[in-house]
Amino acid sequence: MTSATKPSPMPPRFRRLLAVALVLAVPAMPLAAHHSFAMFDPGRPMTFQATVKTLQWTAPHAILWVQAGPVGGYDAGLWSLELPTSPGNLSKMGWSRTVLKPGDKVVVDINPMRDGRRAGQFKKARIVATGKVLGIGTIPGTQPPK
Amino acid sequence: MRLSRHWIALCAAGLAVTGSARADDDRGPVNRAPTAADWARIATLPDLSGVWSPGPMDRFGPGSTTAPPWKPGQAAQIAALEALEKQGRPQNIYVNCLPEGLPSSVTQTLNSVEFLVTPGRVTVLGEFDGNRLRRIWTDGRPHPADPDPTFSGDSIGHWDKDTLVVDTIGFLPQVFIPMSQGVGLPNDGDMHVEERIALAGPDTLQVDIVVHAPRVLTRPWHARRLFTRHRERTFDFVESSCRQGDFLDDLDAHGNAIYLPVPKDDGGARLPPDQARSK
Repeated sequence: MTSATKPSPMPPRFRRLLAVALVLAVPAMPLAAHHSFAMFDPGRPMTFQATVKTLQWTAPHAILWVQAGPVGGYDAGLWSLELPTSPGNLSKMGWSRTVLKPGDKVVVDINPMRDGRRAGQFKKARIVATGKVLGIGTIPGTQPPK
Repeated sequence: MRLSRHWIALCAAGLAVTGSARADDDRGPVNRAPTAADWARIATLPDLSGVWSPGPMDRFGPGSTTAPPWKPGQAAQIAALEALEKQGRPQNIYVNCLPEGLPSSVTQTLNSVEFLVTPGRVTVLGEFDGNRLRRIWTDGRPHPADPDPTFSGDSIGHWDKDTLVVDTIGFLPQVFIPMSQGVGLPNDGDMHVEERIALAGPDTLQVDIVVHAPRVLTRPWHARRLFTRHRERTFDFVESSCRQGDFLDDLDAHGNAIYLPVPKDDGGARLPPDQARSK
């Protein structure tokens, strides 16, 4: 999370996994940051309950990281759910970096990755405790993001 | 003949000195400090203040097609790229977070822009690319004879009544000409872009753009983009660094706040650490 103070440390398990993954992935890791969403499959929408780990409030795309139990054919684990735009546009749609907090139980609607990895395109989230629904709206006078 | 040519050169040098004595000195041309009169002159120009959000793209002029008029070789490449994108193997015109450049910063962007009108220049800022920056010189200077190639090129502008007319050259040959958010092809050199920027309503800005790219297009590509003005402070620009999303916050062994790279798939989607390897 973006913060004026030091960020809360990443859980050691996440950091260890990330370190291992980086070693494995470096040769093939592309540099693309801003990208199209063609790797996500709108023909296989999924809905499941999860727990927010963090809302990564960064350009060019914010990412909601959630922990979920087994769902569909997927093992339990961490999911990256990519929002289609940046904090600049999201804030114009009523979002903020604190609208979802670590530990929040949510029901998420996503388009999963075509290749079966535990990642997807964020569609919307309902906060279980409050019933509040966070979706991707439009900015008046603009074209909606993909 | 030789004498007369020297005489002309001397006269020209004299004019340069007397005509813009305050602008030029032994350092060469300088950007002189604006005067109160300079500020007064721009006060009557159209008001471009505020945050402009891009609207749906439509087209400029009757008979224009949606796609740039690619030469046959380029059309075949575009068809192949589109097929890949439909298969979920995205091709991206914004790879590596390099600036989108012109014409994409007008025709494709989904992010807001600002125009700062000051004496001698118009500065265009974009809420993208680490806050994109273009300088359009309106102080009467010509293009450099051989500008260093850049993503947004060298822009010279002038006001034609209420329209800002901009001429841009000096592009990197790698700058894409887009036909979607995900697909485009490089201009391959010699690109020249003309823009006409004008208010089309109280809070509507119209940018008409003509792209000349003789190496890849059969004729100039005409496009139009409308932008909607917002004055709400919720629309104020925020910092937007394209590479920041490649990293997660973390702490190092000393407790220092650091960034840790996030794994990604071939198309750039962020992945949980244990999902970094392809399935």
